[in-house]
Amino acid sequence: MAEMQVHAAHHAPPQGFIRKYVFSVDHKVIGIQYLTLGVVAAFIGMALSWAMRLHLAYPDFRIPLLGWLSPNGAPNGVMTPEYYLSLMTMHGTIMAFFVLTAAPFAGFGNFVLPIQVGAADMAFPRLNMSSFWVTFVGFLLAVATFFIPDGPPLSGWTAYAPLSAVGPVAGPGQGWGQTLWVLSIAMFCIASLLGALNFIVTTLDLRTKGLTLSRLPLSTWAWFIDAWVSLLAFAVLLPCGLLLALDRLGGTSFFIPGGLVFNDQLQPHSGGSPLLFQHLFWFFGHPEVYIIILPAFGIVSHIFPTFIRKPLVGGWKVITFAEIGVGTLSFVVWGHHMFVSGMSPFMAMVFSWPTLFITIPSVIAVLIWVFSLYGSNIRFDTPMLYSLGFVSLFITGGIGGFFLAQPSTDSYLHATSFVVGHFHFTMGLSAVFATFAGFYYWYPKMFGRMMNETLGKLHFWLSFVGVYCVFITLHLTGFAGAVRRYSAFVDDFMIPLMPAQRFMTISALLLGAAQFIFLFNAIWSRFKGPKASDNPWGATTLEWATTSPPPFDNFGGRQLTVYHGPMEYDGEASVMQTSPEASIAGT
Amino acid sequence: MSSNRELTMSSYVGIGVGLMLIVCFEVILTYQHMAPRTLLFALLCLACLEAYVGVMYLMHVRYERPILFWTIFPATLFVLGFLCYLFPDAFRMLNMRLMK
Amino acid sequence: MSQSELTIAAGHEVVMEASPYGIEKKKLGMWVFIVSDACTFGAFLFAYGYMRIGAPVWGTPFEFSSILNGMIMTAVLLSSSLTMLAAVRAAQAGERASVSKWMGATMLLGAVFAALHLREWFNLIGEGWRLFANPTGGPAQFGATFFSVTGLHLTHVVTGVIALGFVARGYNQGRYDQSHIETAGLYWHFVDLVWMFVFPLMYLMNAH
Repeated sequence: MAEMQVHAAHHAPPQGFIRKYVFSVDHKVIGIQYLTLGVVAAFIGMALSWAMRLHLAYPDFRIPLLGWLSPNGAPNGVMTPEYYLSLMTMHGTIMAFFVLTAAPFAGFGNFVLPIQVGAADMAFPRLNMSSFWVTFVGFLLAVATFFIPDGPPLSGWTAYAPLSAVGPVAGPGQGWGQTLWVLSIAMFCIASLLGALNFIVTTLDLRTKGLTLSRLPLSTWAWFIDAWVSLLAFAVLLPCGLLLALDRLGGTSFFIPGGLVFNDQLQPHSGGSPLLFQHLFWFFGHPEVYIIILPAFGIVSHIFPTFIRKPLVGGWKVITFAEIGVGTLSFVVWGHHMFVSGMSPFMAMVFSWPTLFITIPSVIAVLIWVFSLYGSNIRFDTPMLYSLGFVSLFITGGIGGFFLAQPSTDSYLHATSFVVGHFHFTMGLSAVFATFAGFYYWYPKMFGRMMNETLGKLHFWLSFVGVYCVFITLHLTGFAGAVRRYSAFVDDFMIPLMPAQRFMTISALLLGAAQFIFLFNAIWSRFKGPKASDNPWGATTLEWATTSPPPFDNFGGRQLTVYHGPMEYDGEASVMQTSPEASIAGT
Repeated sequence: MSSNRELTMSSYVGIGVGLMLIVCFEVILTYQHMAPRTLLFALLCLACLEAYVGVMYLMHVRYERPILFWTIFPATLFVLGFLCYLFPDAFRMLNMRLMK
Repeated sequence: MSQSELTIAAGHEVVMEASPYGIEKKKLGMWVFIVSDACTFGAFLFAYGYMRIGAPVWGTPFEFSSILNGMIMTAVLLSSSLTMLAAVRAAQAGERASVSKWMGATMLLGAVFAALHLREWFNLIGEGWRLFANPTGGPAQFGATFFSVTGLHLTHVVTGVIALGFVARGYNQGRYDQSHIETAGLYWHFVDLVWMFVFPLMYLMNAH
């Protein structure tokens, strides 16, 4: 590929605490800010799930903090059914947006991608900074819903109209709570769009000499593909949110049909379509789950070669084209969330076929990871454990998808906890395990210290066993008919499932406790961990060709030239991308 | 480096006039008493033609590398095309609504 | 120091892989933004189409005066695209003085467009049209879709005029160069092209 000479833009390193750590345009600081936001949001989201699970298994359990937060929502610390739904809504919103979309993509992508392409920063550093702070304000708005009198909205992270559109008459939290929620999501939309733009232009335009697209690290490829999916999907969520806001605040009836009665009050709306909301939301919502999983694919594909000491089967092409296939097909399957909504049954079939087809590139990716293990001497360091855990969780979650992809079986399973188990496996667990893998892998580069391996392995095994305990059981209770988004199981057929509910609650609490091991490890290692070398894992990509942590401009004024692909591993030997030595793995 | 100087300014003015003429033609078509569906189809075709001319000439894509064309058009048309999956439910709404 | 590394002293050239697109990264960024904005406008127009198809009676309330007003607005916006093009060409030829002139003309025409649009809005509001009200007795979604779609476009026009002002000022002060003018031009042309869809779909399809 042709080369071009560019005048090096030189910026002096920032001075002062605010410019260095708060309003910083440095992609490394911004990446760590996103990761910190993700970790804080994850603990908040997890705490919400503990409250929900406690209530489900022990309906009279008193949680004083909730009683203090919302005397109406949780009188005496026992949550009302409405408040349960509010907690559920914010659990989903915070986890799906501020943890799963923020951390693996914006967090790791921002830190690692510019270094992996050999650039000094992202293409638009100030835009990058704005993206983070807009996301942060969005997060504050979401958290603020807990502190307003009426509490958070209760319409779910999916905020279906007309419940979300008619305003306070629909229930507690549907006034200011829902409005703040819409504002929070709109801000997240805009921040994500601009972030995706940055990733795309950086990957295309800021690659260092010799780094052709065929030599890009697999994590960069995944972030790049993800950025395109993100750009196009969030572009459609924005109008969905704007139309919802207009219905709520402008008196319009885009999503509110006529003849609707809430609490004995006939709503002054007519002519709208709740299905339109679902279509627009899920047009974004399905690509969103792939926006969450693609960076995980990339991180795991990047980590695997380092610890199996050989390239992935098929080289960079097969896995990357599988990711492109997944990303593209993700836009044509959204109706599988709407099989029982009253949507045209013909369209149900039109959506069901590609939903089954999309398993093909996903399975190809999984097979590549699994087959690559064959004949390799696996180094079971914590990042590799988490990457293997990711593969296991993704396979398990994916199998559930076959049942949900077909309208026939889905009409039974829709709105049961089977679906909850499925998406937690594929999104919540797989992506989180991949994020942990990324944490343990890139922590030395970010902070110049190694995390503790023993604590890491302990964290892994407790988490791995814990997540299977909780979420496989959810699949089983779902088969038995346990309905999701219910705050109490009083129906005949659900009472026998109470022992399973209690098992899940206890497992979930133990699983949550295990996460504090990670938190402790991350914080303690920052100050007391052994100092990390430039390349503690013996990896080959550009981020390992600089110091840990990297200097302000990533490479200390050096111009790097790339000679090889990212997977030059052959057992103990490896050749860095920047080394002019001969190739050993033919990549 | 790309430049907008491949064509003269008069050519660009000509393109602008051409676009305005297409708009005038759209207005004439509007008053021809045709079925709304036909008018919609005709207007959309003409609007797409205007957008194509605008993107290729005013926004200079005609003189950029082909990969720019093959990036922006497929991505945009892909999203806009699959949004059409919404329409069967609009027709169901027309035929199955309670309140006429 | 290994042979693969060259120290970049201040002011030296850096060698990078060429962009596959061969355009400045600012312009590529603007194109990527335009793709997303096109999808946003598209989703709005699809929602309009959905509402309209699902409504048994939509009504066509716009008299010829509205259509004529729309044609004038189209002509104004098209002219502003041409003046913007003139500004870009002047910047590329290095004629700094002309650039301000043409940018000013573009901003003026954009402001005229906005003024005509707002005047039309106020007329409609005076007749009883609202986001939620239709004085002809037809579906209220007419006002909702009309004001929201044209409102989004108007927001883009007004934001564009303001942005053009900042870019022109930066160019005059020497902080910005021709690539900034070109990038702003791309945005402005995009706003014009969106109008090419809004006018037929929101006005001509609703002509009496």
